[in-house]
Amino acid sequence: MSQTNTITHDIIVVGAGLAGSWAALAASKAGVKDIGVLSKLHPLRSHSGAAQGGIAAALNNVRPVPGSGSSGPLEAIPPGEAPIDSWELHMFDTIKGSDWLGDQDAIEIMVKEAPDLIYEYEHMGCVFSRLEDGRIAQRRFGGHSTPRANYSADYTGHVLLHTIYEQALRYGVKYYPEWYCLDLIIEDNVCRGVVAMDILTGKLYTMRAKAVMFGTGGYGRAWKITSNATANTGDGVAIAYNAGVPLMDMEFVQFHPTGLYGKGILMSEACRGEGGYLRNSDGDRFMEKYAAGLMELAPRDLVSRSEQLEINEGRGVGPDKGGVYLDLRHLGPEKIMSRLPQVRELAHEFLGVDIIHDMVPIQPTAHYSMGGIPANVDGQVIADAEGTPVVGFYAAGECACISVHGANRLGTNSLLDASLFGRRAGKAMAAFIQNGAKLYPISGDPAQRQEERIQRLMDAPASSKESVAQIGAELKETMTNDCGVFRDGERMARALRKIKELQARFPNARVMDKSRRFNTDVLGAIETEHLLTFAEVVVASALNRTESRGAHWRTDFGRRDDTNWLKHTLVFKNGEEGPRLGYKSVNIDWEKYPPQERKY
Amino acid sequence: MATNGTTRTVTIRLQRFNPDVDKKPVMKEYTLEITSDTTILDALEQIKATQDGSLTFRRSCRHAICGSCAMNVNGRNTLVCNQRVNAHLDRKGAVTVRPLPYLPIIKDMVVDRTSFWEQYQRVKPWLVPPDDVPEKEFRMTPEEVAALNDAEKCIMCGACYSACTVTAVNKRYIGPHALLKASLRVLDPRDTITNERLIEISGNDGVFRCHTIFNCIDACPKKLNPTQAIETLRKLAQKREAFVAARKERQKSL
Ligand SMILES: Cc1cc2nc3c(=O)[nH]c(=O)nc-3n(C[C@H](O)[C@H](O)[C@H](O)COP(=O)(O)OP(=O)(O)OC[C@H]3O[C@@H](n4cnc5c(N)ncnc54)[C@H](O)[C@@H]3O)c2cc1C
Ligand code: FES
Repeated sequence: MSQTNTITHDIIVVGAGLAGSWAALAASKAGVKDIGVLSKLHPLRSHSGAAQGGIAAALNNVRPVPGSGSSGPLEAIPPGEAPIDSWELHMFDTIKGSDWLGDQDAIEIMVKEAPDLIYEYEHMGCVFSRLEDGRIAQRRFGGHSTPRANYSADYTGHVLLHTIYEQALRYGVKYYPEWYCLDLIIEDNVCRGVVAMDILTGKLYTMRAKAVMFGTGGYGRAWKITSNATANTGDGVAIAYNAGVPLMDMEFVQFHPTGLYGKGILMSEACRGEGGYLRNSDGDRFMEKYAAGLMELAPRDLVSRSEQLEINEGRGVGPDKGGVYLDLRHLGPEKIMSRLPQVRELAHEFLGVDIIHDMVPIQPTAHYSMGGIPANVDGQVIADAEGTPVVGFYAAGECACISVHGANRLGTNSLLDASLFGRRAGKAMAAFIQNGAKLYPISGDPAQRQEERIQRLMDAPASSKESVAQIGAELKETMTNDCGVFRDGERMARALRKIKELQARFPNARVMDKSRRFNTDVLGAIETEHLLTFAEVVVASALNRTESRGAHWRTDFGRRDDTNWLKHTLVFKNGEEGPRLGYKSVNIDWEKYPPQERKY
Repeated sequence: MATNGTTRTVTIRLQRFNPDVDKKPVMKEYTLEITSDTTILDALEQIKATQDGSLTFRRSCRHAICGSCAMNVNGRNTLVCNQRVNAHLDRKGAVTVRPLPYLPIIKDMVVDRTSFWEQYQRVKPWLVPPDDVPEKEFRMTPEEVAALNDAEKCIMCGACYSACTVTAVNKRYIGPHALLKASLRVLDPRDTITNERLIEISGNDGVFRCHTIFNCIDACPKKLNPTQAIETLRKLAQKREAFVAARKERQKSL
């Protein structure tokens, strides 16, 4: 018998970013009070807090000065004058951005409910930047045809995260800070709880619940150059996959065009939203060649590819010519200090560049995970292409794939996605509980299995030559080189072999910390195991998709192929044989939003 | 410019302590190759990956926004993710890193922040908005928003809390971080429990305990000014009734 304890709640939420805390708050407001939220980080450390630029909603507060063109100055829309924005426009931009792979029913819900969400944030205390007349200020963002990014200077995510966590506390939500979820318990397609570790003591707990939600965030840490926090190791997707849940559209990973050179740390898209330029080694604004209409404000996938082409063709900058310049000098000190204060600090602290006076070298950086755990518009996780629910299991935020972003996400749409579908999942879980959901028994001792997993890791001799860090580093190198901005069959086949090799080496890797208390060495090993698990799914999905769509770009299949590939990838774990690939149809309104060529 | 390949060898001196096995904290030295833009956090990660996996510290965002990585470097509290090693080397090429002082140590650089979070919750960090909310946003002026910007930027890293001479000896003191948060809510025209807040922060454990030694300002990695916030709260507490009345008036046109 294991020594583990059992904890029971009506609802357990794993993850305390925007998705997780919204779900908990919404469920609590709907009347379910027995909620536990666990997070491997203190909730306020969640990666949502790193978001900079804004959150999208067609509020109609701002418009371009009439006659000034698509990049001219903005002004408040005077009272009584016609709106310029609408949910329909937001919807079309999102569908186009997604390269028609986004599910249109889900997108419609998101863009229609967006303004209400922003007002709810505002009513709860979120400090948005304002116009003179007191309305919320808005700025431009890539791929959006109107200025609809609502923001708090360039630390929007930080403000949203603090607001929502504090309101959840106000409503009595119980948090388990620094608790690590190790396993998800699903039997007979019914979710029964999770296994988790209290990191402080190292003790394991079986946590039973009628409903479990994952809001565990993204998986960018599988790449070497990434904007993601060290916590973004895709635990949730790997754990769900191991528990038999399929993963959807994992090949679609967004590379953000402006990561600090060599570091990957993000320089917000707001830099370009406020009017920044991109220049190559000749000083040319090269976007003229690739997207003469939207220029620097074309969607991210397109801008990242343009940068990479400039670099590949020898017009790169930086020590090994692997970057291009972001030029903000013409914005002037005043605008930079008021709208982009964090960005200025980052460039200065990490590269010693003052963006008021100098250009800063940047490069594409792994940024956002479009794929994830398949779920419907209420966050209900599905088990197959037919939409069969995994009873009692929900997912929202970056770990989920609902799918509103399809093959490429537009900036500011993911804070919206995480918040809005977190809120919807919370309400759905509350209704599920109130309609008489049961607490299902758990067979066997899943916590004991995790105990053994940890013991195995600790038992590897400290003298072993194989190190977790080394395996992690080799994986990241492989993913950046062979499954990055540009892909081809040969390189991806090589990547897949490499991942298999690393998976085989992993069991011999040494863990040096043998103590129970706050053991980040063991957790680091478990996270690396998760990277190895989902990276295989990413590469297998990407290799299988013989077309180019959105962020998935293949030099050997350089065109979108709607005849064969207008469909979601669904990957099932298949025991020793490795991933089994299947498909799911895309929800499309053929009358209103039929697929078109995606041109900017 | 940055990211040049030249490396140099440095000494990183770290305080190590696992209360389950060690009697008391000890200093250990690690030798490391760094470049000009290796951060102190990078250095800790390298040591953990290549020399001693049991080295324990908190971190996540890597760019000074999540508040995880506050430590004590050469005697000063700071974040370590945005500090380059080069900037902190002494003449012998060494830098010393310890956990935040005056807090119980859980392991190595990881400190127990229980009292820190308790004080944070005590000030009710959440806004309590009016029952009747408008259909759209409350109309706040840019000036009203600007007054909140400082407090809103706080990342709750604890650097100020652990540098404060009052909290060092009196864990009942609300502390600079929570008072800064309290000021955020007190100054927000949308908040409705101003009276209650001002009574709480002017009580025995509140703003009048501050010795105005400014340690919190020195320590703050975001260049915020908790002392100023405390000063503002003191003034408002002294004219509490008038301020609360003005707030009610303001809310009529919000
Ligand atoms: C630098 C940066 C800037 C961005 N800027 C923008 C922007 O301007 N606009 C926009 O719309 N989007 C932006 N994004 C994207 C957006 O921030 C994220 O997609 C979104 O915040 C994800 O929210 P989440 O709640 O799903 O996950 P997160 O906020 O990442 O939270 C994940 C939670 O899960 C917990 N967790 C994970 N694994 C475990 C485990 N095993 N056990 C227990 N807990 C676990 C973590 O502790 C954390 O609490 C940005 C992203 C980055 C990287
Ligand atoms: S790692 Fe987030 S503040 Fe340093």
